[in-house]
Amino acid sequence: MKTFRKILLGEEFNRATASIIAILIGLLVGFLVLLISNSAEALAGFKIILSGGFSTGAKGMGQVLYFATPLILTGLSVGFAFKTGLFNIGTPGQFIIGAFAAVYIGVTCTFLPAPLHWIAALLAATIAGGLWALIPGILKAYLNVHEVISSIMMNYIGMYLANYLTKSTIYDIRKAQSLNVADSAVLPKGGLDYIFYNDLGGVKDLSTVNSGIWIAIVVAILIYFIINKTTFGYELKACGFNQNASNYAGINAKRSIVLSMVIAGMLAGLGGGLLYLSGASGRHLKVVDMLAVEGFNGIPVALLGLSNPIGIIFSAFIIAYITQGGNYLQTLNFAPEVIDIIIACIIYFSAFALYFRKLLPFLIKKGRGDRQ
Amino acid sequence: MGMEYIIEMLNITKSFPGIIANDAITLQLRKGEIHALLGENGAGKSTLMSVLFGLYQPENGVITKAGKEVSINNPNDANNLGIGMVHQHFKLIQNFTVLQNIILGVETTKNGFLKMDEARTKVMALSDQYGLKVDPDTLIEDITVGMQQRVEILKMLYRDNEILIFDEPTAVLTPQEIEELMKIMKELAGEGKSILFITHKLNEIKSTADRCTVLRKGKYIGTVDVQTTSKETMSEMMVGRKIQFTIDKNPSIPNASHFEVRSLTVSSKRSAKKAVNNVSFTVKKGEILCIAGIDGNGQSELVYALTGLGPIESGQIFLNGKEITKMSVRDRNVLGMSHIPEDRHKDGLILDYTLAENLILKKYFTPEFQDHGFIKFNATHTYADRLITEFDIRSSQGSKTMARSMSGGNQQKAILAREINNDPEILIAVQPTRGLDVGAIEYIHKQLVEQRNSGKAVLLVSLELDEVMNVSDRILVLFEGEIVADLMPAETTVQELGLYMAGSKRKEVVL
Amino acid sequence: MKKILSLLLMVIMVFGLTACGSKPAAQPTQPAQPTTYEIAMITDIGTIDDKSFNQGTWEGIVAYADKSKITHKYYKPTEQSTDAYLAAIQLAVDGGAKVIVTPGFLFEEPIFKAQDLYPNVSFILIDGNPHNADYSVFRTAKNTVGITFAEEQSGYLAGYAAVKDGYTKLGFMGGMAVPAVIRFGYGFVQGADVAAKEMGLTSIDLKYHYTGGFDATPEVQTLAASWYAQGTEVIFGCGGAVGNSVMSAAEAAKTKVIGVDVNQSAESDTVITSAMKGLSASVQSVLTEYHANKFPGGQSLVYAADKNGVQLPMESSKFKKFTKADYDVVFAALAAGKIKIANDKDAADVTKLPVSIVKVTFVK
Ligand SMILES: Nc1ncnc2c1ncn2[C@@H]1O[C@H](COP(=O)(O)OP(=O)(O)OP(=O)(O)O)[C@@H](O)[C@H]1O
Ligand SMILES: [Mg+2]
Repeated sequence: MKTFRKILLGEEFNRATASIIAILIGLLVGFLVLLISNSAEALAGFKIILSGGFSTGAKGMGQVLYFATPLILTGLSVGFAFKTGLFNIGTPGQFIIGAFAAVYIGVTCTFLPAPLHWIAALLAATIAGGLWALIPGILKAYLNVHEVISSIMMNYIGMYLANYLTKSTIYDIRKAQSLNVADSAVLPKGGLDYIFYNDLGGVKDLSTVNSGIWIAIVVAILIYFIINKTTFGYELKACGFNQNASNYAGINAKRSIVLSMVIAGMLAGLGGGLLYLSGASGRHLKVVDMLAVEGFNGIPVALLGLSNPIGIIFSAFIIAYITQGGNYLQTLNFAPEVIDIIIACIIYFSAFALYFRKLLPFLIKKGRGDRQ
Repeated sequence: MGMEYIIEMLNITKSFPGIIANDAITLQLRKGEIHALLGENGAGKSTLMSVLFGLYQPENGVITKAGKEVSINNPNDANNLGIGMVHQHFKLIQNFTVLQNIILGVETTKNGFLKMDEARTKVMALSDQYGLKVDPDTLIEDITVGMQQRVEILKMLYRDNEILIFDEPTAVLTPQEIEELMKIMKELAGEGKSILFITHKLNEIKSTADRCTVLRKGKYIGTVDVQTTSKETMSEMMVGRKIQFTIDKNPSIPNASHFEVRSLTVSSKRSAKKAVNNVSFTVKKGEILCIAGIDGNGQSELVYALTGLGPIESGQIFLNGKEITKMSVRDRNVLGMSHIPEDRHKDGLILDYTLAENLILKKYFTPEFQDHGFIKFNATHTYADRLITEFDIRSSQGSKTMARSMSGGNQQKAILAREINNDPEILIAVQPTRGLDVGAIEYIHKQLVEQRNSGKAVLLVSLELDEVMNVSDRILVLFEGEIVADLMPAETTVQELGLYMAGSKRKEVVL
Repeated sequence: MKKILSLLLMVIMVFGLTACGSKPAAQPTQPAQPTTYEIAMITDIGTIDDKSFNQGTWEGIVAYADKSKITHKYYKPTEQSTDAYLAAIQLAVDGGAKVIVTPGFLFEEPIFKAQDLYPNVSFILIDGNPHNADYSVFRTAKNTVGITFAEEQSGYLAGYAAVKDGYTKLGFMGGMAVPAVIRFGYGFVQGADVAAKEMGLTSIDLKYHYTGGFDATPEVQTLAASWYAQGTEVIFGCGGAVGNSVMSAAEAAKTKVIGVDVNQSAESDTVITSAMKGLSASVQSVLTEYHANKFPGGQSLVYAADKNGVQLPMESSKFKKFTKADYDVVFAALAAGKIKIANDKDAADVTKLPVSIVKVTFVK
């Protein structure tokens, strides 16, 4: 009993459990909304949400991974910034600028051969996203302008700039969206096309998922190592925790802040690139006055993953999985609009993970006190 | 029994992962008494007081007030029971004014507006009554620690608390301020308030406390009557062995000039007057030079300027003949400058890093701990374990303990270990023994002398007259940013030193 | 502990993958309930009440299905991409759909693929014809029908009615210069010209502009306001949300607007009429044919006046002089094919249209 309590009170357990409890609570809230909107089919609907990506066969699972890809990157972007004491709310701007850069290279630099072409496009996305975060970084480090304010501004500038540039350079007027990127710039399937498809009478109905998910996972692991194992990560985290002490230790705190922001921006930009290089049947840039949701969704992903890069991989999977389940909920008598609400409830209630994390040990101790 | 005690803590047990901080501890506080709490660093004093103040919930034990069992689940409960606390590390809001901090949480309002005037009158009345001088409209970040403490005390009095907990209040005060505080505490006790007082200084216990409870490594050792118990007995109860109060040291054999400051001037953030005005001095190899003075006379600015953390207006600094005036902090460190900062939480530690990570704070980039950009965690922990044993740093989970969860004294020991172990050319130590128990002070003083004996230069900034007289080879007195005296400890007295520090005496300084 | 948990999660994921690998994907999981929906619509990314394509099409489906008591449902894709549209189609098929209606030309590529993936399901593609990604292959399979509209006729009706109603200073604000928008605009110009001739007018001013997008933007609103300030009496806001910007400007200037695609009179009091496409009518007629086993599979239908493919909503129009009788005359002439209208293939740009009285000022 004693050891059990010890485990329950232990830091690591507390962390992961809190996230899981948070997700369960989110699901519970989702179930309540299901009950309210259509009590007869609520149970069946809940089952569908739980079976998530599995609902539509292997292709559905592929779609989960496809949706998770940009979420991992924007989640990493937010999480990495969190770890270094910054709140990067500029992911939508960095994401869309990265997406534009990737598509632009993908459409125009057709002289590049296959692997080089998409690699160049992704590099461009990464650099563009980084540049977009450089400005709030510099403002924060040298003029003490809070990064939240400047990155929100950069979000809008980024959105309008991406709209303008898309329209004036790579626009397909017939479809009111960006042109298809060249085949050489489309991310290869990376073997995933052998797994994630539905067989429709001899025709392969392929999932959109591609090697982007591999790249996302590798980047997450890379970020994990940078944060936890390198002197560079040590410096960045130190500045996040205590700038004075970092200066005292001889760390250039200003430089660290700028670098943290830039890396966060690079991650979000890469996320944009990965999503928009999924080929003719995938996503295209649109000229819309709306900030990229994938960017904002990085925040609940990071919260749920407790800013831990490995945790973020899982939380992105879970959110994509539940979203996919919500999509399949349409087979029942639920209006798509209500489904959007249900899924948003699950995700955002779950994102209170941090809060529960603080509450958990308190509750356990309280319970013990009462028993005496 | 019952009514005799205003507060009783019976059999209190509180553990943290890896350690039992309080192991069935009993403490009984009489009404109107000053009750001292004595124990080594990490003995569990702050923890016990935090339990009383509702910050921690004990696993075991009861608390009674005036004989009745009470449950204290949070500081609000404590406040409602008339319990107030001045924490070891103050809990003031930096960018609020003194007045705002005092009334925070118990603001009185009228039609939704703060009744500031009423509050101000009450605060100023209390301030006059007890001689707690504060400037109500300055921001906390702009006042000295001494004044911050007065703010904390006023905060308790403003709430009409009758049980007052002082967690190491004197660690950050100047001798004059300590004397005043002792007077105030006696006055409060005389009015019927009951006081719990944590300190590592036996003199203070002797002069003010009625009774003293001693803890050792989380266990209750005993409660004694202060009048009839000698300092030696109390310290033996606390440490479990005899303590040497003065250090043996041979006269210094100062060598060549080593660390030199020429006409250093630092402008002040607050006023047009210079914080440091045209200060010049040298520290020789094998010498402990002490900068004495009352807090707030430019010591902080001087040290920030020397270490590269703060700006300078003019002047030059040399280490080993090399000019370092414009060097970065990192370059100075690499060149052999070590710095034990005044404020351990602000500058000295990254509280959310582990003890091990804090111990390599200035060395993480050296080949010893780094390989192709990767931190060598094995080397780090081995190194940390060595320092932990060498400097007797006590914590709940060894090198993996979060710095935040360590006791104040042990946090200080961690900094000392890190800075002294760097084997510095010049060690700038500001209040190095602040918050340490007598055993640890003894050890640190030995270390400082050791440094100097091995031919290193030590610049000691201290407010503690005993320390100044005991440890240093030479004393410079800083008053209002200027050096007003250059003395040898053997040729001066504490009284004379005090006069210089207060600015009532001045001596032409020949450099 | 964290390790154990992540391991657990990993096991779940892996189990999941093998689960879908081993299960023959040919029969995707049955829906949890046996309820099926025979007619399905996939929405464009917008909402079902978008006062545009989604809504117009859905109204047609509801009208037909309610009358014939057939189950129906709409599905929303997760994002705007061919793959997502295909996934929504799969969802509809899993949900028992036999006919799937898709509004908007963005469905051209998804239907091009879906018509082969689901040979037993019929597709009605509104406002487009199936083709592959690079437009190199256009093919409408036996289980698919593509419907387009004679936008030039709809525009013609609007231009004609406006001039007949007494307006002499007109404006046209198209979204992007895509073929459908161009056809609307050309028809508008020619309808106005014919009406002017009939009335013996000597001059009609017509400002003509493509905004380059389908969004409501401050720039569009500013431009519309300046046109109104210069005397323009009514502007044909033609293209997505462009009309909303025009309406805002008209509300401020107390002037008039002509809506597009669907009946937009409810959106603003300034809307005097709308150049409608017969979304609802076309959907209903093809669905009727489907259930009568006369599905016009493989065909590209152009819905014009003869099949109620275009119209002005006369009941809700706010004309002063132009009457229902006037409308019926011109509509009958169009339906009978007596009026020839130059469309996007006949004129290189708007200034080359064969008009005599209308003076077109092309605003870049
Ligand atoms: N929040 C906490 N989490 C984990 N361990 C803690 C926490 N607070 C205190 N401890 C541990 O409990 C022990 C007692 O700490 P406490 O702060 O009570 O000591 P103290 O007697 O006040 O020492 P000092 O004189 O150095 O201030 C220490 O070993 C410390 O590391
Ligand atoms: Mg303490």
